[in-house]
Amino acid sequence: MRKFFITFFMTLGWTGISAWASSSPQENDMGHLMTRLVLQLAVVVISARFFGFIVNRYLKQPRVLGELAAGMIIGPYALGSISLPLLNQPMFPRLEAVLPVTPELYGLAVVASIVLLFMAGLETDLPTFLKFSAIGSLIGLGGVVLSFVLGDLISVLLLPGVDSFMSSTALFMGTLSTATSVGITARILSEKRKLASPEGVTIMAGAVLDDVLGIVILAVVVGITKIQSSGTGVEWGKIGIIALKAFGFWLFFTVMGILFAKKLSKGLKWLKSNDAIAGVSLGLALFLAGLAEMAGLAMIIGAYVVGLSLSQTDMANELRERLHGVYEFLVPVFFCVMGMLVNFATLKSILLFGLAFTACAVFAKIFGCGLPAFLSGFNLRGAFRIGAGMLPRGEVTLIIAGVGLASGAIGQDMFGVAIMALLIASVITPPILIRSFEGSSGIRSKKLIKEDDKGCQIKLEFPSIHIAGFIRSHILDAFHSEEFFVHRLNLDSQIYHIRKDDVFITLIQDKNIIRLNTAFENKQLASLIVAEEILELKELLEGVSKLQSPDNICEELVTGLFKEE
Amino acid sequence: MKKTIKKALSCDNIILNLKSETKQGVIEEMISHLKSCGLLRDKEGALKAVLEREKKMSTGMENGIAIPHGKTDTVDSLIAAVAISRQGVDFECIDGKPARIFIMTISPLSQTGPHIQFLAEVSKLLRNPGARREILNAIKVENVLKVLKR
Repeated sequence: MRKFFITFFMTLGWTGISAWASSSPQENDMGHLMTRLVLQLAVVVISARFFGFIVNRYLKQPRVLGELAAGMIIGPYALGSISLPLLNQPMFPRLEAVLPVTPELYGLAVVASIVLLFMAGLETDLPTFLKFSAIGSLIGLGGVVLSFVLGDLISVLLLPGVDSFMSSTALFMGTLSTATSVGITARILSEKRKLASPEGVTIMAGAVLDDVLGIVILAVVVGITKIQSSGTGVEWGKIGIIALKAFGFWLFFTVMGILFAKKLSKGLKWLKSNDAIAGVSLGLALFLAGLAEMAGLAMIIGAYVVGLSLSQTDMANELRERLHGVYEFLVPVFFCVMGMLVNFATLKSILLFGLAFTACAVFAKIFGCGLPAFLSGFNLRGAFRIGAGMLPRGEVTLIIAGVGLASGAIGQDMFGVAIMALLIASVITPPILIRSFEGSSGIRSKKLIKEDDKGCQIKLEFPSIHIAGFIRSHILDAFHSEEFFVHRLNLDSQIYHIRKDDVFITLIQDKNIIRLNTAFENKQLASLIVAEEILELKELLEGVSKLQSPDNICEELVTGLFKEE
Repeated sequence: MKKTIKKALSCDNIILNLKSETKQGVIEEMISHLKSCGLLRDKEGALKAVLEREKKMSTGMENGIAIPHGKTDTVDSLIAAVAISRQGVDFECIDGKPARIFIMTISPLSQTGPHIQFLAEVSKLLRNPGARREILNAIKVENVLKVLKR
């Protein structure tokens, strides 16, 4: 099998390269540019997937680390710069521009970052955040402020040429330090069944504010950098205007988005096709990303705002499902291209700074999030769990670093530091988090545990798992025909989320038992739909019993199957 | 959903004083009324759909409420009617009492859209004893509509 893969990739590479080499070598020729793009993309997609798989399967680390490593290995600062025989030039020639990769390839990575942040916004759990908003806000704020200040200060202290807290490099390093990516935490807590624990929900609530603050800070920092690059010094008036503009843009579109989300969702439903709805939603994310850039902010802010607004609608799960393919294709490209931007030559000189920066970032998250958690009623164990849960960094760190590198605010050395911090944080978080969640409760004050809203449950027991499965599929079809969005949580379990406007129902099939959980006000709807489907089953069973001779039918069907020819 | 209730119900499809005294009679009278309002093309098709559903299990609920309904492609969109029987009709209700308020829905079989959800929303309104009393005491169709569109 391995031999087959090696031969296959070699043939693929040889054929592609030959094709490119035989095409017109005119640099500005559109055909040549596109050929180069698709060949580069092919190498990026295959390498990212391959390394992602290896790292995940054999090193038990997140796939993203493999994708980043793939970029570093095949990029213009490593193997990509080697001239290929038939090509007479490297696959990823090192460009003497701000970014070492081609604008076409970087453009794809930018689109990928928009998709990523749109999906991140779509996954935001605003109700959980609002429920735990007080503690969540304190924890998110604590982590962001301390991370930003320490990230900025350590750059001023240790980096030559950075002498002011307001210098664009220091500001970007501060911003890089703030971003948390709780995807890894969420996965670990979900596996350990701790996601619904007080620490779990607090981390998730804190992460929402962390994301929002991080993005607003990025908007302000991008604005300040633009002023500074235009030759003007630090003008607090202008900075104030930028901060207001950034926060205003975010606040305006978020509030409008949340207020009009239902109307928007209703308008989109007019398209009558879930694929069309997903396409238009992504189009809106791209549109608002463009608007944000035109307003002098970062593109990802617009994409995130559209995702956040649509996260509260009944079609959020459906959108995630429909766009999953786009996400799975583009996101490894993003991480791989980001890996390609790492210049190893610059890393040697900043290795110590990178370690100091990472240590500061880890300390800032554990202390900055842990202290407010401790003051809010968690004990030391609980506070540490929350701090550790906020440690991982991922796509947002990379996007911020990419924006900084493209705008010239940070150099390739600091980009390398960002990658280093990401790699270290992603590797150390899982074992720390798993160990921290062992042992007793993390709560000091019982006031923290709020009772869930009173809901109701409909429980039905059927004679067999098959009948339960049959009824379940009919109930889901019935909800679907009433224009509800039905989403299966994962393939390993029979848990479904059923949503339409404000109605939210969870259906769980556990062997021969079906449970429907919902708010008390939706009991009538759930009961009537289930009742109608049981009546259908009754009719079906009566129909089967009326079959004149089911045994004869079966006998006829199987007779002759093993007859000798 | 409130919009669907508002859209589907008007003064035209409310019968304040049902004359029929039997279950079959009530269903036929309501369907005839929908036909006379111009909301229904095929009276027979609708009647068949509602009666077939009744055959499976009576839609007589509790507290004098019944929700006869059916799905048929003889309608293009959800249509609804509300009727009140002053004397009450034996509708084989779960609590054995006569039914006095009837909510009927007929929706297309091969199209998606609210059907049970409509009935559930109206039933939710009628859980309130005050709302039921107001409907039963209504002397004008406007009063009934006002309660249902609240």
